[in-house]
Amino acid sequence: MAKIIVITSGKGGVGKTTTSAAFASGLALRGYRTVVIDFDVGLRNLDLIMGCERRVVYDLINVIQGEAKLQQALIKDKRCENLYVLPTSQTRDKDALTSEGVTAVMDELRTEFDYIVCDSPAGIESGALMALYHADEAIVVTNPEVSSVRDSDRILGILAARSRRAEQGEEPVKEHLLLTRYSPKRVEGGEMLSLQDVKELLRTPLLGVIPESEVILQASNQGIPAIHMENSDVAEAYKDVVARFLGEERPLRFIHPVKVGFFKRLFGG
Amino acid sequence: MANPRSPGTETSAPLRVSGGVFTLSILHLESNNPQQLAQRIAEEHQRHPAAADFHRHAPVVLDLSAIPEEAPLALTEILNVLRAADWFPVGLRNAAPRHQALAQDLNLPVLRGQDRNAAPQPETPAPAQSVSTSPGGLTIDHPIRGGQRSYARGGDLVCLAAVNAGAEVIADGNIHVYGPLRGRALAGVNGQDSARIFCMSLEAELISVAGLYRILESDHPLWGKAAQIYSRDEQLHITALTL
Repeated sequence: MAKIIVITSGKGGVGKTTTSAAFASGLALRGYRTVVIDFDVGLRNLDLIMGCERRVVYDLINVIQGEAKLQQALIKDKRCENLYVLPTSQTRDKDALTSEGVTAVMDELRTEFDYIVCDSPAGIESGALMALYHADEAIVVTNPEVSSVRDSDRILGILAARSRRAEQGEEPVKEHLLLTRYSPKRVEGGEMLSLQDVKELLRTPLLGVIPESEVILQASNQGIPAIHMENSDVAEAYKDVVARFLGEERPLRFIHPVKVGFFKRLFGG
Repeated sequence: MANPRSPGTETSAPLRVSGGVFTLSILHLESNNPQQLAQRIAEEHQRHPAAADFHRHAPVVLDLSAIPEEAPLALTEILNVLRAADWFPVGLRNAAPRHQALAQDLNLPVLRGQDRNAAPQPETPAPAQSVSTSPGGLTIDHPIRGGQRSYARGGDLVCLAAVNAGAEVIADGNIHVYGPLRGRALAGVNGQDSARIFCMSLEAELISVAGLYRILESDHPLWGKAAQIYSRDEQLHITALTL
């Protein structure tokens, strides 16, 4: 029986889709059969980040409306053996997502996969509610700034009240906090909230810290999930996140400013 | 043409009537027997000469809640006893309709006090509608997030975690927050002005007790500290929780 994980945040532009792509790829690299679903109907992005945009024929909405079979809409990832992408529609709007339809798709996927990763749209409207409704666990993506933290707080409240687990009185959705676009140097300069500030404000177990990096932009533009960017701190950080999610102990990295040595500064190494 | 502004109209300003609130002594009449009253006053003044001084020329309102409606009332004699003791009886309250008519005959005002039917029963105080002990309380052991609202109807609200910015905790009774209180807290929303808010770290956006409210900024001297908020004399007070 698959575990359903929603990647959510409330606020837009914090790194939900980047995280969905990297996290799902990471699970697949560990050998788990994984599917990642784009719930952002009308603003289809996940296929771009995964580099499969030219292979989309059918999408989630087609499946929900009965125009295609699930197997026709699932796109096999070109880098990971065990990873599938379920894209969404670019031309429809989020009203095309019906709760019965989403439930049917989830039930079907549950039997075939180990992990179902749901990439939530921003906001707290129906699209986001659909994405989080079936979740067993949630990764709340937050940037170290106050508006993002506040929106994450809001979405954590909604998770606790509006998910299927909450409605049916089951054990609550397991919450994880993922801090992205973290720049230790700017934290030191007082421009960003620190890790401690965010933890203190949200009081949710920390799954990891992804440093601010140009590598993310390069990865997005090339359609490569960031976890595949070899020798980058971003890829390492996402690998740590996956490991911690699977229950392994990993120390936090990339949370202190890099000390530039004297000679390196002198000779610009 | 005669000048319409005659000297008479110029000086006749309207009568000045304004409201005022006075503190008056209330004498709770124990029986309808004037002799007994005289004796009781004499005893009292003998035992406490200072009391006699204090009562001298003091205006006093007679409370008749202990006098049954059917009992005869020698109001004139009772007033004479009081005047002999240097009191100034100025009115009655909690009087039965029959006794009220007697007072009107003597041009003595009947003051509005508590309803006679709800007269106090000193022996067995009515079971107080104490919200704090009622079973309607609410205990929450997870953080209350922005946009969430928790209401403890008819009781206290206890939150063992944080109340985050944008969240609202509401109670008919007291509110206890053992994590940081960063949202809004409204205690005694049904008018219970003895309700209080207790928190281990005061960072609230807004606090309110029984309809009185104030907003808080981070420059408050108790910001981030353990504090309690209560209402007294129509004002909200914030004091440190020092235990």
